[in-house]
Amino acid sequence: MRAMGATLRAELVGAGGVVERNFYLTRRYIYWDLAWFFWTVANTLTIVFIAQGIESTGGKIDVNQVATSLLIGAVVWAYLGVLFEFLMETVAWERWEGTIEYTFMAPLSRAMHLAGQGVFAISYGLLRAVFLFIACALFFDLSMPDANFFGAFVVIAIASISFIGIGVMTSVLPLISPEKGTQLGFVAQGTLLVVSGVYYPVSVLPGWMQFLAKFSPATYALAGARNAIQGGASMSELWPDIWPLILIGIFTIPLGLWVFSRGEHYAKKHGKLKRSG
Amino acid sequence: MSEPSVRVEGLLKVFDVPEREAGLKAAAKGLVRRKTREIRAVDGISFSIEPGEVVGFLGPNGAGKTTTLKMLSGLLYPSGGEALVLGLVPSKRERDFLSRITLVMGNRNQLQWDLPALDSYELNRAIFRIPQAEFTEIRDELIELLGIEDLVRKPVRQLSLGERMKAEIVGALLHRPQVLFLDEPTIGLDVTMQKRIRAFVADYNARFGATVLLTSHYMADVEALCERVVVIHHGQILFDGALSGLADRFAAYKTIGVALENGKADLSRYGEVIHADGDWVTLRVPKAETSSVTARLLAEEEVLDLNVEDPPIEDVIELVFAQERPQAPHESE
Repeated sequence: MRAMGATLRAELVGAGGVVERNFYLTRRYIYWDLAWFFWTVANTLTIVFIAQGIESTGGKIDVNQVATSLLIGAVVWAYLGVLFEFLMETVAWERWEGTIEYTFMAPLSRAMHLAGQGVFAISYGLLRAVFLFIACALFFDLSMPDANFFGAFVVIAIASISFIGIGVMTSVLPLISPEKGTQLGFVAQGTLLVVSGVYYPVSVLPGWMQFLAKFSPATYALAGARNAIQGGASMSELWPDIWPLILIGIFTIPLGLWVFSRGEHYAKKHGKLKRSG
Repeated sequence: MSEPSVRVEGLLKVFDVPEREAGLKAAAKGLVRRKTREIRAVDGISFSIEPGEVVGFLGPNGAGKTTTLKMLSGLLYPSGGEALVLGLVPSKRERDFLSRITLVMGNRNQLQWDLPALDSYELNRAIFRIPQAEFTEIRDELIELLGIEDLVRKPVRQLSLGERMKAEIVGALLHRPQVLFLDEPTIGLDVTMQKRIRAFVADYNARFGATVLLTSHYMADVEALCERVVVIHHGQILFDGALSGLADRFAAYKTIGVALENGKADLSRYGEVIHADGDWVTLRVPKAETSSVTARLLAEEEVLDLNVEDPPIEDVIELVFAQERPQAPHESE
């Protein structure tokens, strides 16, 4: 028991090292990150202004409600993008940097290595999402009197576990195909985008796509965030959105690790574990 | 007798490499029926290395050296045979194995390009679970030994190749590995830097009794560090033995250097004159005739000075690499 505890502690220290390294790397390029943040703000605003655009062309909508809904969708989508990017970088970026062989030789279990990547991605992504939400909300006269921001934060945090699981599955793609794997990773992101109701209700989708939406954690994350911020739902009222996220998380994390281990096995068998260029 | 640090038995690595003829027709056909060729990168090699030994692993480009080192490091799964390092199977990725070996590749980096080396060392401390006090002591000692105190605070990408390699070596040795796989650690470095790295490796081996398997295209590295060499070509071992024995086995000639009293005599009747520098003439003679030619020179000429040597190791290696493997690769569809 004591030995197990020591091993776990050592693994956590190793995962902490991965988090620390990502922090150093992010800090190294913080000004470039800020520039990128401005791009994200601009991109998000482009989407949220659609609500005002519809009204100005004669559409009869509740601008406040539609703008808030689009803002939540855009922020969650941007957050998901950060998570996926960090996880894809687990392989793709290390391959480009030339450090991939050493990372895969390190005496750290793959689960803890990926957990380190995931923890940093969640922390950084959530922080960025909060700033993005505030920055964009300032452009609009949005009224959110009953908003339960804490509830929305909890929903997104729980959804992150599932996102990490899916991200781990896609991060293996550059391991299998150094040339095209990274691009293929966007397939998962795109699929989540189209079925999860990021910018429109899931109910507008064809039946078979609505069926797929049931398996997407983004569907529940978006619904939960909107219920909390726009509907002021309490934690207990958010439970119908939370439990599917927990269930999907329980399923996707081990599946993600298994898929990654198979990808690693394939790469080591076929000599794909090497730097690009 | 102690257990070997590295034991390799019939180690095999086969890659299926896609290939096709040029042209649109062949490209279209390849979409339906992919043609591959089986390449035996490492073809059933066997050797073992005792603890504390420094062994040169030589071969031309594509001989199978890096593939072997990657299999010994657990980065590549063998197609067959067995490899044991410190009694453990590399492909199993056991913690006890990974924390006792290191791999330094001259054309790769473990240090993050954008960060000062010190930050990457911190990651290694966490991953290898080196206690803080021990880590600081080892890190500072290595930094001092390699003389890079002023460099470790700069982003790695601002370092020269030689400086980067020294910083890489510090990172690779922080956990005091018992087995070092060094894959061309001096590639691209100037002579002074090469010497410094050689001296460092020799010192590390002497102090910690570490086992070293070294590949290098610089024979000076091998001559300075390795008493034993394993020569691999086309994935097969051509020679495994003392470096001094390499010339005996593969060189068909020796060189005789001679200086004569009269200086200008024509010595071509004794052997092939390969070099003449002032009074000093170097002859190449068949190995079997070395004694008789030497005796004739001494009897027939007024010899001031004479020495008999094996050919330079570079020439011997060139001879070894010139050997061809008879076996043709298999083809499959």
